[in-house]
Amino acid sequence: MTFNSLTFVVFFAIVLALHHAPWTSWRTKKIQLLVASYLFYAAWNPPFIVLLWISTFIDWHAAKRIHAAETPVARRGWMLVSVCANLGFLGYFKYGGFLLENWQALMTALGVAWQAPAWDIVLPVGISFYTFQTMAYSLDVYLRRAAPTRSLLDFSLFVTFFPQLVAGPIVRPADLVPQFAEPPAPVPGRLSWGLGLMVLGLFQKVVIADGMLAPAADAVFGAKETLAWSDAWLGTLAFSGQIFCDFAGYSTTAIGASLALGFSLDDNFRYPYAAVGFSDFWRRWHVSLSTWLRDYLYVPLGGNRLGSLRTYVNLMVTMLLGGLWHGASWNFVIWGGLHGTYLGVERFIRERVGPSRLASTLPFQIALAMVTYFLVNLTWVFFRAREFRTAWRMVVSMLTFGEGARVLATADVVLVLSAVLSILVVHGLMRERSLEQVVARAPWWLTASVVGSMLFVLVISQASSNAFIYFQF
Amino acid sequence: MPSSTSSSERLGLGSPQQHSPLRDIPQAPWPRILWAAVLVCAALLGAWEAYWRSEWFVPSIRNSDGLWALTRTRIQTEGGHGTVVVSSSRLLFDLHLEAWREETGQLPIQLGLEGTSPRPFLADVARDTAFKGLVVVGVTPPLFFPPPGGERLTALAFAKQWSPADQFGQQVSMRFVEPVFAFYDPDTALFTVLKRQPFWPQRPGLPPQMPKVRKLANTRSTRQSDMWDKVERDPAYQKIARDTWLAFINAPRPPLPPPEVLKKGFEALLAEVAGDVRRIRERGGEVVFVRAPSSGPFLAAENGGFPRERTWEPLLQATDAVGIHFEDHADLRDVELPEWSHIAAGDTDRFTRALVRHLREALVAKGTPRQELGR
Repeated sequence: MTFNSLTFVVFFAIVLALHHAPWTSWRTKKIQLLVASYLFYAAWNPPFIVLLWISTFIDWHAAKRIHAAETPVARRGWMLVSVCANLGFLGYFKYGGFLLENWQALMTALGVAWQAPAWDIVLPVGISFYTFQTMAYSLDVYLRRAAPTRSLLDFSLFVTFFPQLVAGPIVRPADLVPQFAEPPAPVPGRLSWGLGLMVLGLFQKVVIADGMLAPAADAVFGAKETLAWSDAWLGTLAFSGQIFCDFAGYSTTAIGASLALGFSLDDNFRYPYAAVGFSDFWRRWHVSLSTWLRDYLYVPLGGNRLGSLRTYVNLMVTMLLGGLWHGASWNFVIWGGLHGTYLGVERFIRERVGPSRLASTLPFQIALAMVTYFLVNLTWVFFRAREFRTAWRMVVSMLTFGEGARVLATADVVLVLSAVLSILVVHGLMRERSLEQVVARAPWWLTASVVGSMLFVLVISQASSNAFIYFQF
Repeated sequence: MPSSTSSSERLGLGSPQQHSPLRDIPQAPWPRILWAAVLVCAALLGAWEAYWRSEWFVPSIRNSDGLWALTRTRIQTEGGHGTVVVSSSRLLFDLHLEAWREETGQLPIQLGLEGTSPRPFLADVARDTAFKGLVVVGVTPPLFFPPPGGERLTALAFAKQWSPADQFGQQVSMRFVEPVFAFYDPDTALFTVLKRQPFWPQRPGLPPQMPKVRKLANTRSTRQSDMWDKVERDPAYQKIARDTWLAFINAPRPPLPPPEVLKKGFEALLAEVAGDVRRIRERGGEVVFVRAPSSGPFLAAENGGFPRERTWEPLLQATDAVGIHFEDHADLRDVELPEWSHIAAGDTDRFTRALVRHLREALVAKGTPRQELGR
């Protein structure tokens, strides 16, 4: 079920009431949460719950065997069991069709007549998220970063915890499993603040992403003809705002729901459109994935420890695979490749230019942030377009101020510009602040009015249960 | 990308002493904030609801894909022997389902969808081996004879992947939300209202846009859809509805393909529909076609663009099916059509009873009486 649905409202109200009921033990509460999490996932497609069970079973046992293994070969073997099982799931459900399609193209290019079998497999929601999360558990034990947990219940809940199950944040075992060990200490305002964050997250998703920006992005990226540069840019800006508000909205709602239940999840977004440079961007955008890729891919590949050239290669490999993680499409690989290139170029410049007084001045920082935002927008074109041809046509229009068709009405133009400018201003102002600091300083009536008004606008927008974009990944 | 150590290197597992840092909770009088926020929201919602009620809106069931999917399930749950209506908006708005039930003893399964070709839905019923009953196909020429299209085609795909969460949400919505709030209507959604305001200037270089069809009916949980009072009694709103149709009727059209291409396309259409009818008959079912009333510029455009002798008659011939055309029956013509395309709510009872009677008589005359029509 999606957060922006009546089903979730009813589900969460029941879960919250049961979880805070004073008469149940902590163990019972955890069992309730586990059952609720399975229900949450089964509400999409009941048979896929088996995947969660298999994933839980394999990583629970693999981690124990890795920990107990007496020889490096056995340790490595059990680690590979976990990695192969998790990547096998991903490969089968997510990349099977893509691999077959490209294999067929290769065979055709070589003159071999071969027809790929039909690959009509439904992608289980959130599989990329929970496979990475459980794999991190086995890898942490293998890398001797952690010992396996002793409670199967806690581990199962870690794999399945519904607020972040299908679209993250991708939580590390060390951050969440210990929180299940005992009831959280009471903290005044935690439940209310959690509910407030849920309202904020849903407002981002329903009002800004779906209401203000998605129609324009859909119209532009769905256009068959070459577009005027103005509309190509407006559609791209709309998508840049939409994907942020959609995904950050999900993360904020997940963090709020967890907090209302007494658990803390780390931030997944830190005002990324105020980033100055690309390493800064990746410290602010989808933080849980970028740190996952850093710790389980970039660092094991050698990180920056094996010389300059190898560092660039490692960066590029990490970003290309990061792109492919989003979906089985060459456009995502291009998206990752562009970010890998940006990071490499930035590193190259930093190594040669070094810090300067000019670089730390506000106008220079703002200019760099604008350049970063401009280049990030170019990557979004490849991320959003269904086909490379469409993406290329859009980029050419955007960069050459090309003539072409207009598809956006005045109302859409105004909505896109007002939403995107608001996002940029908020990101700029909040770059060095946290929401908690701002709310703590605000008068109580202002906070109440803002939350009440957001809730009102959320309701009158009449959200349908549009899926979050990242569910497809 | 920095190469710092991960948080996992700093924290172990399984020890309560090693919790990750908890999130900050802003210091504030939270109970007061929570209640005040609820009050602010409730007050604003109350005002919003009052405004829309003053604009003639009343609580009604949303004509959503979920309601359509729920109605579609009745083919299975009722054993597949009933009457199914597939149509665009004409038979959706024109049929009075309770009157039909009184006449025949069965409540029809109303699967009509506004602005959408019924052909994919006829094909869907034809593929459903559970169905062995009577299909009433509404024929609105500009939607039936061109290649299938329409915004509500999504309902078919939605029904095929209707998740348990969707089904539960549909029940909650139609039992506890939609019967209570008048503002919970697609026509009053914030951004729909905002975008249809007249103050937006036409953007230079943008081709003129077709107006969005405004609310025309109130729907019930059976998908009985009654023409909205405002269409019938508010001249200004009725003009909006008529102007919308005029914009569609007078919209520039792409040039027609050569006659041989059109002929081939039409033959393919007849073959496709005849195939669906044959499949349904092979299971013991039957299909009838109904051309519901239209008037004014709508009727002129339909008769001009889709002459009866070149569309309707060949359809009946190719399918060997019973067809009821409103122009052939005085009691079907004698209805009020406030916006030229749909029957006023007060006339649908009489129209439906007359239609059932004509269908019954035509099927008996053809030698294929149907128990779904009673008597």
